[in-house]
Formats: sequence, C-alpha cells, structure tokens
Amino acid sequence: MNLFRSEEHVARWLEANGYDAGATLSAEGICDLAQAWWGDRLAPDWRPHTLEQNQAILDGLGLTGEFWRLA
Amino acid sequence: MDVELRNRIYAWFVEHGQAPTLEEAGADEDALRRLHDAHALVLEPDLPKIRMLNPFSAVPTAYRVEAGGRSWYGNCVWDAFGIPAALGVDGHVSTTCSDCGEALEVDVVDQRPRPSDLVAHILLPARRWWDDIVFT
Repeated sequence: MNLFRSEEHVARWLEANGYDAGATLSAEGICDLAQAWWGDRLAPDWRPHTLEQNQAILDGLGLTGEFWRLA
Repeated sequence: MDVELRNRIYAWFVEHGQAPTLEEAGADEDALRRLHDAHALVLEPDLPKIRMLNPFSAVPTAYRVEAGGRSWYGNCVWDAFGIPAALGVDGHVSTTCSDCGEALEVDVVDQRPRPSDLVAHILLPARRWWDDIVFT
C-alpha cells in the first residue's frame, strides 16, 4: 500500500512492475480509512475487531464492491 | 486471543519505541505465535521476534512518521497515517513516491492530510491482505 504523487504515477508504477491495478484512494480517503481502522488500537479496553466490524468500517467509508470484501 | 498480553506488548512498544523481546514481554514463543496466528501482531519469518504491531513497524521502513514527540515507522501508507490516529495526535509522514522517488512530506492535522492531492494505491483485494502481510 503505497503513496504516489498522482494517479499518473500510480499507472506508471503498475506498468513498470507488471501489476494489475488495485484500488486508488485520495490522501483524504486513506487518512479516513486509517483513522477508522487503527484509531482504537492503543485503547486500554481494545478488543479484536470481528470480520463483520472491519467490513462495516470499509462499507461505512463507501469502500464497497468485490475488491473490498474481506471474505 | 490473549488480549492482555497483546495490550501489554503494544503499551511496551509505545513506551520504549521498540518491540519487546520475549523476556521483556513476559511471554513464551508459543504465546507470541498464537497472537501472530490471530493477526494481532506479525512475527519475523521463523523467528520469535516481532516485526509488526500494526500500524507500527518494529523495523525501519520507507514510511517514517513523527508523532507524539517521537519517530516511528509505519508498514505502509495506510499504517503510516494510522500511527497519528492510534496515538490520538497530529503527525507528519515522510516517504517517497513509489514511482518516481520524489520525497513526499505530509502533515496530518486534525486527522486531515496536507497536502491532500497525493494518492494511495492498494494493490491486493481485501481478502488477500493477510496472504503475505509484509508484501501487502
């Protein structure tokens, strides 16, 4: 999961490495995902997220579709 | 999952800035292996040594993060932004564009990135993230 200057740079990197495209998020989008996914990681009462909880995080951010299905 | 052990290891990491050894964690290899298998942390291949306490990396990476008056490493861009989130503070992420190598410096203030015109790419679909978490 890498950071790039722009979508053009993503496309060039994919081609250079022979990778199929995955999903591109804006910096705002990855920041929102990080907050929702990791925000409780140091909470004293932390409990493991269930798969359903994690899927709900993705769904809640509009990250839907086959690519974003955890199982 | 031994949540108490997991929480103790995370607290130790945040306090000391490095992953605890088995002795420092007060755990045996089997206990760490169980946390690894539950995706609560990631061990080095074939070694009872902690490599990742997501979003933190216990080893240097291309994603350096300044947050809470300390330097950290994230495992990837998602984790790098996750470090200020986990610590509940603003932060700064230093990395390079994976394509051209240009330095990218991003402030995270009130959970917003500045500049905000950069993009992140997630190569693998979600169900494959744990197939090879280091590659992911």
